[in-house]
Amino acid sequence: MAEPPKVFKEAVPKAATGNYNSIAAQYARAKAAKESEDERKVGGILAGFGLGGESAGRRGGAKKESKGAFERLNEVKAQRFRGEWGWVVGFWVWLLCIHAAGLYFFTKGFLLTRLVLEEKSSCTNPPITLSTQFQGAGTPEAGCWHPKTFDKAVVIIIDALRYDFTVLFENSTDNPSQAFHNALPFLYETAEKQPRNAFLLPFIADPPTTTLQRLKGLTTGTLPTFVDAGSNFAGTAIEEDTLLMQMKDAGRRIVHLGDDTWTALFPGYFEEGISRAYDSLNVWDLHTVDNGVTEHIMPLLSKEKRGEWDVMIAHFLGVDHAGHRYGPNHPAMTAKLEQMNVVLREVAAALDEETLLVVMGDHGMDGKGDHGGESDDEVEAALWMYSKRDVFGRTKVDYRTPPATAKERPVNQIDLVPTLALLLGLPIPFNNLGRPIEEAFAGVKGNAWENLAAAARMTAAGIKRYQAAYYVARGVDESTVDGSPKALWTTAETTLGAGKHQNWKDGYTTFLAFQEETLRICRSLWARFDVPCMILGIGILAGGVLALMLYANGNSNDGDAVNDPELDRAELQLELDNFAKGNATALEDETTTRLLFRGALMGSLLGVALCPAIWVMNQSENVLDFGLAVGSISGLLGVWYQDMRRRMSFANPLPTTIWGWLAVIFTVSQSIGFASNSYTIWEDSILLFFVATFGVASAFSSLRLENAADRALGIYHSVAFIALGWAASFSKLCREEQMPYCRSTYYASATSSTSAPWQLIIPFVIAAILPAIVKSFYTGSRSYEGLAPAWISWAFRFGLVLSAIFWTLDAADDGEWFPNFPSGLLKNIRVPIAQTVFALALVAGSIVFGYAPPCISISTTATPTPGSQITNSSGARVTILGFANAHGTRYLLLVTNILLCVLMIQKPMGAGAISLMAWQILTLLEILDLLSLTSSPIGPIVLALLGSFHFFKTGHQATLASIQWESAFIPLHTIRYPWSPVLVALNSFGAQILAASAVPLLVLWKQKPRKKGLLRSVVTALSWHVTYYAVVCLATTMWAGHLRRHLMLYRIFSPKFMTAALVLVVVDVIGICVALVGVRFNGLSVGDVFGWA
Amino acid sequence: MASTSPTKTTVPAKLSMPVELLPTDLARIVSQAHPVLLLSAYYLRFPALVADPVSTLLDSLLPLAAIQIAYAFICLPAVGTTSKPVEKAKSGEKKKTPEASSAKALTVIYAILLSLISVPVLAAVQVLFGAPITTHIPHTLLSSAYVALLAIFPLIYVHGSDGAKWREIASVYSPIDEVFGASVGCFLGAWLGAVPIPLDWDREWQKWPVTIVTGAYAGYMVGKLAGGWLLKGKRIEFD
Repeated sequence: MAEPPKVFKEAVPKAATGNYNSIAAQYARAKAAKESEDERKVGGILAGFGLGGESAGRRGGAKKESKGAFERLNEVKAQRFRGEWGWVVGFWVWLLCIHAAGLYFFTKGFLLTRLVLEEKSSCTNPPITLSTQFQGAGTPEAGCWHPKTFDKAVVIIIDALRYDFTVLFENSTDNPSQAFHNALPFLYETAEKQPRNAFLLPFIADPPTTTLQRLKGLTTGTLPTFVDAGSNFAGTAIEEDTLLMQMKDAGRRIVHLGDDTWTALFPGYFEEGISRAYDSLNVWDLHTVDNGVTEHIMPLLSKEKRGEWDVMIAHFLGVDHAGHRYGPNHPAMTAKLEQMNVVLREVAAALDEETLLVVMGDHGMDGKGDHGGESDDEVEAALWMYSKRDVFGRTKVDYRTPPATAKERPVNQIDLVPTLALLLGLPIPFNNLGRPIEEAFAGVKGNAWENLAAAARMTAAGIKRYQAAYYVARGVDESTVDGSPKALWTTAETTLGAGKHQNWKDGYTTFLAFQEETLRICRSLWARFDVPCMILGIGILAGGVLALMLYANGNSNDGDAVNDPELDRAELQLELDNFAKGNATALEDETTTRLLFRGALMGSLLGVALCPAIWVMNQSENVLDFGLAVGSISGLLGVWYQDMRRRMSFANPLPTTIWGWLAVIFTVSQSIGFASNSYTIWEDSILLFFVATFGVASAFSSLRLENAADRALGIYHSVAFIALGWAASFSKLCREEQMPYCRSTYYASATSSTSAPWQLIIPFVIAAILPAIVKSFYTGSRSYEGLAPAWISWAFRFGLVLSAIFWTLDAADDGEWFPNFPSGLLKNIRVPIAQTVFALALVAGSIVFGYAPPCISISTTATPTPGSQITNSSGARVTILGFANAHGTRYLLLVTNILLCVLMIQKPMGAGAISLMAWQILTLLEILDLLSLTSSPIGPIVLALLGSFHFFKTGHQATLASIQWESAFIPLHTIRYPWSPVLVALNSFGAQILAASAVPLLVLWKQKPRKKGLLRSVVTALSWHVTYYAVVCLATTMWAGHLRRHLMLYRIFSPKFMTAALVLVVVDVIGICVALVGVRFNGLSVGDVFGWA
Repeated sequence: MASTSPTKTTVPAKLSMPVELLPTDLARIVSQAHPVLLLSAYYLRFPALVADPVSTLLDSLLPLAAIQIAYAFICLPAVGTTSKPVEKAKSGEKKKTPEASSAKALTVIYAILLSLISVPVLAAVQVLFGAPITTHIPHTLLSSAYVALLAIFPLIYVHGSDGAKWREIASVYSPIDEVFGASVGCFLGAWLGAVPIPLDWDREWQKWPVTIVTGAYAGYMVGKLAGGWLLKGKRIEFD
C-alpha cells in the first residue's frame, strides 16, 4: 500500500439518497455485532460492506439475491483457495523429495565406504609360520601365535580421557594450571617410578571421535569409516572379527560394566548376572554410570569372585559428561578426575600378578569439552598399562619418563588390538591394521629384540593376509595398485634373515615400516569416493535449484494485480454478476504451481514407468536407488518441459534492480566462498557484513522517501536492523580454526560449557522486554486487538518467565548453589517447567492460532467528526482498527509460538541472540513495507541471511563438536525417540526455523483483507527463501565433492556440507509444516471474516 | 506482484546538476594528474603501510590532506561559486580576486572541519560492519580519516552544508560527476576491501586496515574516472 496506515477507516460507502433503510439496518447490525463481539457475524457484515455500496446502489430489490450469490461466491473462492493450497503443498513435498534424493545420492558416493570382510583369524592357523616355536603354540592356554604373557585383563575405559589430563603439569604464571591439570596423577607417577610395571603413552584416535566409532576401532583394529558417525544414537552389532570375538572363541569369560554402547555392539558377549550396563547418552548425569561401575568393580576383583571372569571391561563416562556439561576447566572436572584417581589406585592395588590392567581414553575433548571431529585435542587420548609383575620395558633410557605432550611417541588406538591379543595369547583379529606397542614386548631391560621382532612379524603377516583378502573381495589385482607395500614386506623378510644369524633389531624396524606404509595406503584407499553417484546427487540438487527458480519466477509473473480499490470493487461486482448467471469459468485459472507440479508428477510417473525397461537393459545394482534416480530426474525434466512449453521467449535472467543484485551477491558470493576454508571458517563475520550491508542500503533507500514520517521510520528501522545484528554478534562460539582471532562469549569461558552467572539475567530481560517490542509492532498498525493482547502480553510473557526460571534452576544445579537439596530435585522441578513452556507454545499456541479471529476491533460512531471522514448519509461511521494489517498481525501469532519454542531450547546467550533476531525480523518487515520491496527476492534472502547468521550466534558452528547434545534433556529426563533428535535439531537450527516460519510475514505484513494472490506471493517468497539454502547446499556439496582429497575435508568442508544439507531439509519441512499450514489457517480465518478477493 | 504498490520512492522534484570542473586549463591538468599522484604516493608508501599501518597512516595524513586541498582548490568549484563555461568566455584570462581566494580558503577550512566530524561516524560504521571494537581503535579511526579525506572532503567543499543536496547525496541519488562518483567508488572500494581479510594466506598486507584503505584508494580512482567520463550525469536507481 502507498502509506503505512496507522488507522484504516473503512467507511460505509455512500448510499444513494432515499435508501435510508438499508443503511440503517446495516448500522444496527454492525452495532449489535460489536456488542456481542461475535466475530463471525462481524465478518458476514463486513463482507456485506465490501459489496454493500454496489448492491445498495443497484437498489434494494436486488439486494437479497445478490447477498446470497455473494456468500456462495465466497464459498467457491474459499474452496478454490483450499484447492490451490493443496497443489502448492504437493509441489513443495515433491521439492523436498528432490532435495532428499539429491542429498542421498551425493552422500552415498561421498561418505567413505569400506568392505566388511567376514573372515576370522583362528588360533591354529597363524598367517605365517612362527619364527620361534614354543611349548603349546596354537592353543589359547599357552598363546596362539605368540607366547602368552597374562591370563586375565582388566580394561578400563575412561571416556574422553585426554592425554594432558594425565601428565604432570608445571604450574607457572605464564601458563597457569587449569582445573583438569594434576587431578589424576596416579598414571604418571606409576609410569615414572615403576617403569617395569607401568607405562603411559599418548593414544591417538582416528576420527570420527565419537564413542561408538572408537569402540569399533579399539576392538577390530581397523579404521571405522565416516558413514557410521550418525549411528551414535543407536549402535549396531559388529559383524567383523574383533578382540571380543577372539576372547569368546578362546573360552574367555567377559564381564562388562558401564556404558551400554558395548552391549549394543556386542550383544550376548558378556557374562550374565555380573555385567552391568548403564545408559550412556544422558550427558547431564555425571555420576550414575561411574558410581555403578565403582560399586561393582571392586567385588569382582576380590579373591572369591576373581574366578568368575577372565576379561573385564569397565567403561566410565563421568569425565566425558563433565566435559560436555561444564567443559574441562571446571571444578566438576577436577572432582571427577580425582574420583577416577582413587578408583584406579584401588583397582591397581586389588590386582593379582597374572592380570593386566589397561586404562585408556577412547578420545579426547576440545576446549569446551565436546568431541566428534578431528582436532588435536579431540584425538589425543591417553593409554596406560599396568602389571604387578615386571613386564614392561623401554628401548631407550629417555623413554622412561612419559611424554610431556601428546606429540611425542604417540601410539595409534588400533595398536591396542594386536598388543592385547598377543599379550593374552589370542589370535590377532583378521582386520587388524595396528602394530604391537613397543613397551609391552621390549622386556624389562628394553632389549628383547627377538620378542619384538616376532610380535611385529606376526602382526605384519596378519596385515598382509588381510590386504590380500581385501583386494580379492574388491576384485582388484593387488600388484596393479600403485605403491603396493609388497616390496617392503620382502625387504623385511630378507633383513630379518633366517636361521641362527637373525637380525632381530633391524627386522623389527622393517616390519614396522611395512605396517606403517600399509596403514597409510589403507587410509587413502578407504577415502574411496563413488564419483558418478556424487555427480548424480549434485545434478539432482542443481536441477532442484533450477526448478525452484523457475517456480519462483513463474509465480511472481502470474498476473500483477493492480492495486486500486475502485477497480477491485468493480471487478468483484462483475465477477458476482457472472457468478449469479452461473458462469463460473473465470475461477478456474491455470497457475504456475499446478502447471509445474503436473509436469513433475507426469515426468516422474513416466520415468518410473519406463524405469523397469531401462533397468533390465542396464542391470544396475540396486532397484530402489535406480528408481529413485530415474524418478527424480524425469520429474525435474517434466518441470523444465512444462516451463519451456509455456514460455514464449527468454527474458533476461539477470536481476534488473540493485535489490535483485544484492540478493544475488549475498547468495552467490557466499556460495562461491565456501570453496575456501577461510570463508567457511569466518562465515559468521561474513554474514554480519552482509546483514549490515543490507541495512545500509535500506537506509540509503529510505532517504529517498518523499514523506518525512516514512523517511524517519525507514531510517530508524534500518539503523535498528544493523544495530541489532551487531549487538547479536557479541555472542560468539569460536571454532578451533578461528583462534587466536576470536574470543568465545557464549559460555562462561572458552573452556566451559556452562553459562556465566550474568548471562542468567538475559532470559529475564527478554521476558520483560520482548513482548513489549512485539506489541509495539502491533500498535504501529493499531492491530493490538482481538486475541493479541492476551496472547502476547500474558501467555507469551508467561512462557518467557518460565523459561528464565528454568535456566536459573539449571544454573543452580550446575553450580551446586543449594548443596543441601537432594540430588535430582532441581532437575525434577525444571523439567516440568520446560514441558509447560512447550505445551503452551505448541498446544495452546496452535489452538489459539487455529481459532483466533483477525486482530481487529470494530467500532461505530453515530456522530461523525465533521469534514475529516467519509460518512454515509445517516452520519454513522464504522471504524475497523487493524484493518490494514489483518493478515500479518494474525500470522505473527504463529511466529511468536515458534519463537517461544526456540527461545526455550536455547541457552541464555542463545535466547538473547534469538530475541534480537525476532526484533530484526520485525524491523525487516517494516523496511520492506516502507520501501515497497515485499515482492522483491531481497526480503526472503535477507531473512535467510538472518537465519544463517543467528545460527552462529546461538552457539553453533559448522562442526560436529558444537552440537549441543544436552539440549535433548531440557524437557526430558532421558533419551526418548523421536523427541530427542527433534529437540537437538530445534536447538541447532532454531534460527533457521524461526526465519523460515516468518517468511509468509514478509508478504502478509500490512496487507489488507481481500488482497488478491496472497498465497501466490507467499509461495514466491518461500521459493526465494529456500533458494538461498538450496544454492548454499548445492555449492557446499559441490565443493566437498571437488575437494575430497583436501587436507581440511573432514575438519571444514564435510561438516559444512552436512550442516547445509540438514538445514535445507529442515527449512523445507518447516516451510511446508509451519509456513504453508499457517498461511492456510490464516487465509481461511481472514477470508471467513472479510470475504475473499 | 500483487503486493507491489505504485512506487513511493519518487524522485525529488528539483533535480540537481552534476558538478563541473573549474573552466581553466590548470584545473583540467591537475584533475588528470591528481589520481596519478595519489596512486604513486600510495604505491611508494605501501611497504611502510604494511609494515606499520598506524604510524604510516598518521604520517601520510597531512600530505594526503594537502593533495586533496590542492585538488579541490584548483579544480573544483567551491560552494557558492559557479563555474559556468559562459563566465569563462567573458572573463577570459582574468585573474582571481584575492577575495575569492580567501573565500575558498575559508571553504577549505570549513570542509576540513566537517570532514573531521565525519571520522567517528565512519569509524562507527566500520565497527557495525564487524571491525574490532575493543582493539585496533587507532587503525579504524585512521582508515576512517582517509575515507573522510578522499570521499567526504571534496563533497563538502563543493556542496557545503545544503540540506536538500546532502539528502540527495546520502540517498545516493546525486547525479554522478567526478566528485560524487569518486566518493561512491571510495565507499564501494572500502567495502570490497574487506573481502581478502579472512583468507588464510598469512600475508602481512591482510592486516587491518590495509585492505580497506587500499580498496578505498582504488575505488576512489575508478569512481573518479568513471564519474568524470562514462557515467557523468547518470543517477543510481535502486529499483
